[in-house]
Amino acid sequence: MKRALPVLVLSIAGLVPVWLYEPSPATTSSSTSSTTTTSSSGSAGSSSTVVTGPSLTTEKGDVQVEVTFAGSKISSVRMLKQPHHPQTTAAVPVLIKETLAAQSADIDTVSGATITSGAYKKSLQAAIDARG
Amino acid sequence: MRRVEHIMGFPISLRIDDGHTPAEAADAVFAWLHEVDARFSPFKPDSEVSRLDRGELEPGELSADLTEVLGLCEDYRVSTKGAFDVRLPGRGLDPCAMVKGWAVQRAADLLEAAGVRTYCLNAGGDVVAAGRPWRVGVRHPEHADQLCTVLELTEGGVATSARYERGDHILDGRTGRPATGLLSLTVVAPTLTEADATATAAFAMGTEGIEWAAARVGCEVFAVDADRQVFRTPGLPVAA
Repeated sequence: MKRALPVLVLSIAGLVPVWLYEPSPATTSSSTSSTTTTSSSGSAGSSSTVVTGPSLTTEKGDVQVEVTFAGSKISSVRMLKQPHHPQTTAAVPVLIKETLAAQSADIDTVSGATITSGAYKKSLQAAIDARG
Repeated sequence: MRRVEHIMGFPISLRIDDGHTPAEAADAVFAWLHEVDARFSPFKPDSEVSRLDRGELEPGELSADLTEVLGLCEDYRVSTKGAFDVRLPGRGLDPCAMVKGWAVQRAADLLEAAGVRTYCLNAGGDVVAAGRPWRVGVRHPEHADQLCTVLELTEGGVATSARYERGDHILDGRTGRPATGLLSLTVVAPTLTEADATATAAFAMGTEGIEWAAARVGCEVFAVDADRQVFRTPGLPVAA
């Protein structure tokens, strides 16, 4: 119990910053107002509007975006400033989970583990090659 | 035009769908792969790889090709934190895992240089194709006559690493033990050099290799783990 108590205190101390953490605007320490530029594009008289967002200083670094509107729709978003933080530079890849299925289908060729010349005769690829 | 030859111990199937193709274009492919076998096989005592391994060559005496291959091997060794390693303790230098994809991609480059546009080259299960949508079946890891997915690609390479053909031949360089976390892992990439090396390296890493391969730029992944669970990237070009 004598040992458990400091551990408990330390755990709570460690949780405090998490409780206090709040995403923007609390972490924003400086900002400039956004600017808007309207330009007329050549086609069909529609106009595009470029809005530059305020520069936000987050604990990961400065973030600023530029959004281009075609009429009322967003046509592009560009990062003017982005933090060089591992979370933004190397995102965890998205993987789709499925169940293993067995199928046969009309194919041109087969990818598989390197097959030896001895095993080739009985392979699907040999059947495809023989079909001509 | 179709042609099959056996080089380096595995079958190489070449199919060219262009209307008129000079036979020399296909000849060059097979001649190059015979040359690769002679120069890079660790099983031939007089190959450049064997001579390097016996200390008979100074670094300055290496061919540009072997220098390139060993440089690629080093990139993958560092990137996999040692799981992919062509110099395992107690074993001779064996860059086969890198040489195959690199050499077959070079063969495809020879076809391109000869003006061939529509082709599918399959080297023992590693595929490089161009010119039209090619339907590439991925062999089911447990049933040799079945597929577990069908891909469609117009340009690029597909490689699969697994244990079902030659057993536990891929070692995890970090432990020196056979990699057993996956049943099969397939990579689609812009080149077969990238696809083959990434598939082998990821297989050596085991289940963590799936995410590692998926994070590589230009690589799409289809993997079956030891529990028969499939993981694939959203961008995998699955045929309709």
